[in-house]
Amino acid sequence: MRLTFTLNGEVVSLDRIAEDLPLLDLLRDTLGLTGTKRGCETGTCGLCSVLVDDALTRACRTPVTKVAGHTVTTIEGMLGPNGELGDLQSAFLEYGAVQCGFCTSAMVLAGEALLRRTLTPSREEIRRAINSILCRCTGYQQIVDAIEATAQHRRDQQKATSGGEGQW
Amino acid sequence: MVSNLRYVGNPALQNVDGADKVSGRARYVCDMVVPGMLVAKVLRSPLPHARIARLDTAPALAVPGVKAVITHADFVDDGNFGWPVKDAYVLAVNKVRHVGEPVAAVAAETEAAAIAGLNAIIVEYEPLPVIGTVDQAMSPEAPLIPEVSPTGKGNLCNIHILRNGDPAPLLIEAPVRFEATYEMPHQEHAYMETEGALAIPEPDGSVTLYANNQSPHINRDIAAQVLGLPTNLVRVIQPPIGGAFGGKDEILYQTSAQAAKLATLAGRPVKLILSRSESMAASYKRQAMRSHIVLGAETDGTLRAAKVDLTVDNGAYASGTPLASWRATMHAAGGYRYAAVHVDMQSVYTNNGYSGAFRGFGNTQASAAVELAIDELAERLGQDPLEYRLRNCLREGDATMTGDLLDQAVGLADCLEWVRDHSEWTKKRADCAAQPEDGLTRRGIGVACYFHGSGLGGEGEDFATATVKIEEDNSITLTSGLTDFGQGSRTVFTLLAAETLGVDIDRIRVLRPDTQTALDSGPTVASRASIVGGNAVRVTSEKVALLLDLAAADHLRCDPRQLIRDGESYVGPNETPVPFETIVDHAREMGLQLSAQGRWQIRPIEWDFETGTGEPYFCYVFGAQVAEVEVSRRTGRTRVLKIWAAHDAGKILFPKGALGQMYGGIAQGLGFALMENFRFKDGVPQTLSFTQYRLPRATDVPEIEGTYIQTAGAIGPYGAKNLAEPVMIGTAPAIANAFAQATGIRVRGFPLPRVKG
Repeated sequence: MRLTFTLNGEVVSLDRIAEDLPLLDLLRDTLGLTGTKRGCETGTCGLCSVLVDDALTRACRTPVTKVAGHTVTTIEGMLGPNGELGDLQSAFLEYGAVQCGFCTSAMVLAGEALLRRTLTPSREEIRRAINSILCRCTGYQQIVDAIEATAQHRRDQQKATSGGEGQW
Repeated sequence: MVSNLRYVGNPALQNVDGADKVSGRARYVCDMVVPGMLVAKVLRSPLPHARIARLDTAPALAVPGVKAVITHADFVDDGNFGWPVKDAYVLAVNKVRHVGEPVAAVAAETEAAAIAGLNAIIVEYEPLPVIGTVDQAMSPEAPLIPEVSPTGKGNLCNIHILRNGDPAPLLIEAPVRFEATYEMPHQEHAYMETEGALAIPEPDGSVTLYANNQSPHINRDIAAQVLGLPTNLVRVIQPPIGGAFGGKDEILYQTSAQAAKLATLAGRPVKLILSRSESMAASYKRQAMRSHIVLGAETDGTLRAAKVDLTVDNGAYASGTPLASWRATMHAAGGYRYAAVHVDMQSVYTNNGYSGAFRGFGNTQASAAVELAIDELAERLGQDPLEYRLRNCLREGDATMTGDLLDQAVGLADCLEWVRDHSEWTKKRADCAAQPEDGLTRRGIGVACYFHGSGLGGEGEDFATATVKIEEDNSITLTSGLTDFGQGSRTVFTLLAAETLGVDIDRIRVLRPDTQTALDSGPTVASRASIVGGNAVRVTSEKVALLLDLAAADHLRCDPRQLIRDGESYVGPNETPVPFETIVDHAREMGLQLSAQGRWQIRPIEWDFETGTGEPYFCYVFGAQVAEVEVSRRTGRTRVLKIWAAHDAGKILFPKGALGQMYGGIAQGLGFALMENFRFKDGVPQTLSFTQYRLPRATDVPEIEGTYIQTAGAIGPYGAKNLAEPVMIGTAPAIANAFAQATGIRVRGFPLPRVKG
């Protein structure tokens, strides 16, 4: 089949793609986007999570047909235009949320999916938002810290923007 | 507190690998692709114990795309390796001893072809009687599992003893005596990245291996030995590692040697990555351990004596168990004062997978048992369990349970007091005791504490090395033979070099271990990287700093002792700062070689394994944790509401990383107590996926309030002690002791049962 979708802001068109090919294999093996990790065969670890439109989605359980015409964001798409880290990524470093790094891509995308829905999540909501992804190193606390701080940061930014408009 | 330190203990410091990892750019071995690369797959035993009656790999070579196939016969001495017991094989020889044991391996153009190759191999097994329990293993009629019994006593793998005084008369005389048996289950490391190796055959007959191993020099030595190559024709390069926790030693030696042999036979690169179910079947576990504990105390609660018998299930191969079981023996009565203690440990072969190193290295299980026992004893005495521990815990000048005199700062009581005060222990304990009988949930609060010997102790020579070099552009390159599998040692080494050299941290680049550039530093185990590896970095940096001081003194025409530093700059008596670059240039003009190698070694300790006496460790760390739990009457599920943790690790070098170690260790301890339990049924593993083997998720782990008690005087760099392993030890027993207050049920092992009603 011919597959067309938007990947990290660019339209991708591929020929001769098997319909049942998992998105994870397409990303890692065909496109060389190895920031998305494989951690199990049972769809349980969540390490392969990416964003399809705004929803956190396990790439290992998503046949490529499902993303035709949609927008896929991987960790590589979270970087700025010059390869600089995004605010959530920087917060992961600032709050010590990265150890072995193998779950980090998925955790960042889970945080992003949550923050696109709400900028006022409770710590319990943050925990629920990352609950589908296993981490064996961090005990999750500093990941929660990083997402919570980014929510605050984005709220502050929003306030600054709307505050500016208010003066006019 | 005024500190002249720029980097040591600086809370703003970030992980040096963080940007690579958070951007998805870090390249793990599973992400690597090289031209001409083949894919390898391994044929593994479906049976826990069987004779290999027939093994014919020729049909695999006839499968299109298959380029190489190997068995034990392709290795020198059948691929036999292992230390301290040499009972392991790269691929099974004549017999399989556990489910998942590798029998043959295939390399092919594609994964599908490799699997077709495996399916074409003809293998016939004759099942042998399965040993599924330690009691069966010790029966005189039990079939022998290893090729040769290491002790000459059937399936007995090894024993350890501790003899400190004579507890027998004290236990008879003691007015209060407590006796119980505890059974701790196997635990899976469940590192998020499975085991993997990429082997590249080089034109000169050498092999380059990228492998996610903990100890690259040991991997190199074993690969060279089983491949029949000189050591310097095997090069091991270590990419980023997705977690290890003690689990990436022996299994990686097997995996690396398999990939390397296939690559040399095929003349092409070979990548071998284990699937999750394969990893869970084939990798070693935390050993299951039975502790029979007898404690004797005065009527006022003062502990007098302890006698502990440990029985360890090491599974089909010895792996790290002979060493881990020694550590268990040295800690089996806990961090308390006793007049006399005996411990007798026997480790036994079974067909339950195999066991080896896992965070805590035997102390996790041994301390869990004794912390449940101490809690029960305190209850029997009618004493508050936290105050009871404070009454008996080790303090400076005391002797440990092995008789080792503590001539160091001992932060155990400080840790207990910190968790007591921060958890509002006394109030919560009373509130829980007075909770209504008919609530939806039952609450409890519990405590546990621990001590943990630093470094390898009697396990082996405890040294590390480093190299430091100032490059042409005045950046600084650092190597260590010790690895970072996520715990942050690369960051620790970087900050120690920057601190010691007095330079900006951005100048330092720490290379990944490569056996051609880094010097052998022994294994990355025992939470020793920051202490031993860190001291090697410090002493090596001091050598280079000394050269720069000489150059600065020459440039500024003063005595080196008159120099002071202003940031990176050197300042002499004329008080004009001279930039670091100028001093380095001057050093070069003087002809000084601006690189150094260094080695640091812990002084040898003396443990007599025959008599069970001596000094097992050069120093100790301590800690305490409190857990608050809620048990639902409806579902019977235990939920941990909060954990308070304090650990005495001396000077903290990398605060964000140290806290991350604590939180992560606690999550692993929580899993051990509540849900993990790697189960075997007649030697057949029952939990080979993350749906069957549950790991703690973000909503299972509570908020943690943790601290480090920074006692002074330790011999690690800048006064640091170790922390990565011991921080998990207190969690599981603290949760079980909280569960006991909530439900009135004293468990004698993990995981905790569901208790409804």
